[in-house]
Amino acid sequence: MFNVIGRPIERVDGKSMVSGRAVYGVDVRLPGMLCGKVLRSPIPHGKLLHIDVEKARKLPGVKAVITAKDVPSRRFGFAIQDETIFAIDTVRYVGDAVAAVAAVDEETAEDALGLIDVEYEDLPAVFDPEKACLDGAPLVHEEMTSYLPNRGRSPTWKPVPGTNIIHQAVHAKGDVEAALAKSDFVFEDTFRTSQIHHCYMEPHAAVAQVESGKITVWSCAQEVFPIRSNLANLFGVPESSLHIIATKVGGGFGGKIAPRLEQHAIALAWKTHKPVKIVMTRPEEFTAAAGSAPAVVYIKTGVQKDGTLKAREMRFIWDTGAYSEGLPPSNRALKDGIGPYRLPDFKITTTLVYTNKLRATPLRGLGVPESTWAVESQMDMIAHRLGIDPLEFRLKNALDDGDTNSVGDPVYSIGLKQCLREAAMEIGWGKPKGKNIGRGLALISKTPTTTGSISGAYVHFNEDGSAQVLVGASEIGQGSLVALSQIAAEELGIPVESVAIVSADTAVCPFDQGTFSSRVTLYTGMAVKTAAAEAKKQLLEIASQMTEIPERDLEIDQQKIISRKHPELNLSFREVIERAHTNMKPILGKGWAGGKGDWPGLPHKMQGKEPTPGSKYGAQAVEVKVDEETGVVTILKMASAHDAGQTVNPLALDGQIVGGSVMGMGYALYEKIQFEDGKVINPSFMDYKIPSSHEVPEIVPIRVEVPLPEGPFGAKGAGELAGLGVAPAVANAIFDAVQVRIKQLPLEPETVLDAIERKT
Amino acid sequence: MKTEDVTVERVELQINGETISVDVKPAALLLDVLRELGLQGAKRGCETSHCGACTVLLDGRAVHSCVVLALRAEGKEIATIEGLGADGELHDLQKYFLKFGALQCGYCTPGMILAGKALVDHNPKPTLQDVRTALDGNLCRCTGYTSIFNAVLAYAESRGKE
Repeated sequence: MFNVIGRPIERVDGKSMVSGRAVYGVDVRLPGMLCGKVLRSPIPHGKLLHIDVEKARKLPGVKAVITAKDVPSRRFGFAIQDETIFAIDTVRYVGDAVAAVAAVDEETAEDALGLIDVEYEDLPAVFDPEKACLDGAPLVHEEMTSYLPNRGRSPTWKPVPGTNIIHQAVHAKGDVEAALAKSDFVFEDTFRTSQIHHCYMEPHAAVAQVESGKITVWSCAQEVFPIRSNLANLFGVPESSLHIIATKVGGGFGGKIAPRLEQHAIALAWKTHKPVKIVMTRPEEFTAAAGSAPAVVYIKTGVQKDGTLKAREMRFIWDTGAYSEGLPPSNRALKDGIGPYRLPDFKITTTLVYTNKLRATPLRGLGVPESTWAVESQMDMIAHRLGIDPLEFRLKNALDDGDTNSVGDPVYSIGLKQCLREAAMEIGWGKPKGKNIGRGLALISKTPTTTGSISGAYVHFNEDGSAQVLVGASEIGQGSLVALSQIAAEELGIPVESVAIVSADTAVCPFDQGTFSSRVTLYTGMAVKTAAAEAKKQLLEIASQMTEIPERDLEIDQQKIISRKHPELNLSFREVIERAHTNMKPILGKGWAGGKGDWPGLPHKMQGKEPTPGSKYGAQAVEVKVDEETGVVTILKMASAHDAGQTVNPLALDGQIVGGSVMGMGYALYEKIQFEDGKVINPSFMDYKIPSSHEVPEIVPIRVEVPLPEGPFGAKGAGELAGLGVAPAVANAIFDAVQVRIKQLPLEPETVLDAIERKT
Repeated sequence: MKTEDVTVERVELQINGETISVDVKPAALLLDVLRELGLQGAKRGCETSHCGACTVLLDGRAVHSCVVLALRAEGKEIATIEGLGADGELHDLQKYFLKFGALQCGYCTPGMILAGKALVDHNPKPTLQDVRTALDGNLCRCTGYTSIFNAVLAYAESRGKE
């Protein structure tokens, strides 16, 4: 039994948030701070012929106007270094940064932008990723092959010279062609998704200050250390000259993992010798930040008459827009693309393509929402064709203990089938239903990140006896600060209130790759657990010296050292810590956890190149009603079952499940960034609709807890899972209701109605 | 128009029970004036009055302060999230938000709490549908709303018992 793990403990950072005192990126204010604004390209592809900034510079209140001429010309980038601070000769999408202004206030900065004259020469542009692959398509990056990959992020980078294909990769096992030829039935389908936006409520915001060659940046960043390295490389300074502090982050979902406007803020601060703050407007978010990586997914599956899956071939074309941040989603599909099924033979090909549009970047589940959309839709189609219950068909083929997953690792600690059964039961699977009511299912899985991702933690003690935890990962809303505090408290045997935690400050915290891929509870959590264990050991060593009682007879109880053999012992943490200080041996526990084989306590020999402890599993079930007159799909109920291992905090976990389900609902039903000649035409919450309080159906979160031996107290993590399966579950439910199959997201009324009309 | 050409008007705003004199331009938005005064709990999220992160109460009614002129708020009681609770104690609704895990990133939270408070102040026994309607002007991308509904309903119920 645990003391604090598994309990619904309130967020340790919650009071400042409910009282409006939490400081987000948009709230940072420094004395003498200027307001920065970025001028962006109005055309999708063109030559930058001439920029005249003189009129803008002369406007009273303007302190600096900068263009590519004023800043380092080095390239940088999250995956591939394909971007410059400002466009140098070419603009590649409507939104590409061309110049920036620092002024005494926002109004003046905006006025100044209007006074910058830019002369462009239009170039032919390409917007469709399939057309962008064709011979003779306009090239978005002519100099692509001269680019460098960003260390660690893209070790297997493979561009196709002379094309828009920035990355192509294959992952295969067995002989897929032979296996397909031997299958009783072969199913071939193409599925498409739309680009959606993260829609974190806080827009990107950064404040930069440059003093005596030292750069300090306050930013709502998900990954302070990788962003620091990126910026240090870009500005040609050592990492030690850059101090990045994550403010409170008003939502991220992957959208805040890369430098987006930090580089502009630094350049302006450098020029003006004053702190500069830049906050994106909401239209800027939609047109110049990033969205998800949409995909065209071709899927071919071989199956036996009895419903045994034989082989699966998948080809993905990913639209990364003007810059290559879509690379992680495209690689992710190699690992997780085929779904959590036993498939002796498979082949996955991914092609990442530049177009003259808003860039793609990881978005909650990166690549897996797109692959799951295709796989789980087709699984249903196959089940219906074979006359097998979709639930049974999935159970028959789903991974289980002892199987081998798609990256060649043994499968263990898996609650997948139980998730499916429980979610299905919750929505009344198999029970009678009314007219135009349908039910749909989808399996969900995701292997953990393998981008050499490392997390560190330090644990020491304050003079009052409380534990001080330092971690480098950002809290972006998921509740990592409370979860990590619980992990430390559990290990130390103290209450959560006796744990203080500081996160995501590069000058103070140990290195951490950051907050992405549902990794913080697992990796940072394991680092915290290890660090706390080491701190505890040091504490007990000193206590043992003080009391002359062997360490093995000492225990911790509520910030006191006690001993069953010596009931008279009553030694407080405070006394031990005082002694540690007078002995000049302060306590400091250090912990590290990460991928690449150095996972602590990993008992399994990994067959693949990259170890994958901590795969997460789940299942989505939905019940919908389809209006045959209008095509409107209403979700009546959702059940989302997740095997996140041992629950650390049920409030936080349920929050991820319900919140992810609703985000998945937007992805399924209406979210779509719309383009016209490369320009985003719905850059506001009026025209780009996300779920609001009116649309949310009853949602039942189900926790299936199969502990992960290597996880902190058995935890696996859960951030991305719940959104992954909603879209196919809804499409499957639509089929169940009105017998039409839709292969294009979102499932808008017009699309559904059109399909219904074509059926009759 | 340049800064120096604009006439500035002195207004007296009643904010969280205090009278504050402040110089504002005619076009100044209440949201910006409040944030300039250091009351940064109200956030800008969209500029088009769709997200509700800027929600404050005007005479007890939830409004989007990004579309209210500061001049128009003169003579009205303005309540912001900073004014909730007393003597360092959280307001009960704030406590219910924490208890029900009705916040994640927290950016929408001040607006949600104020919109919820306005509802329960006017309608002490709201139904779930009432809560949905009252919060329709406030977007949240993290929670999926359910925990927020539960926090507001539990708060209303607790008040009914007093």
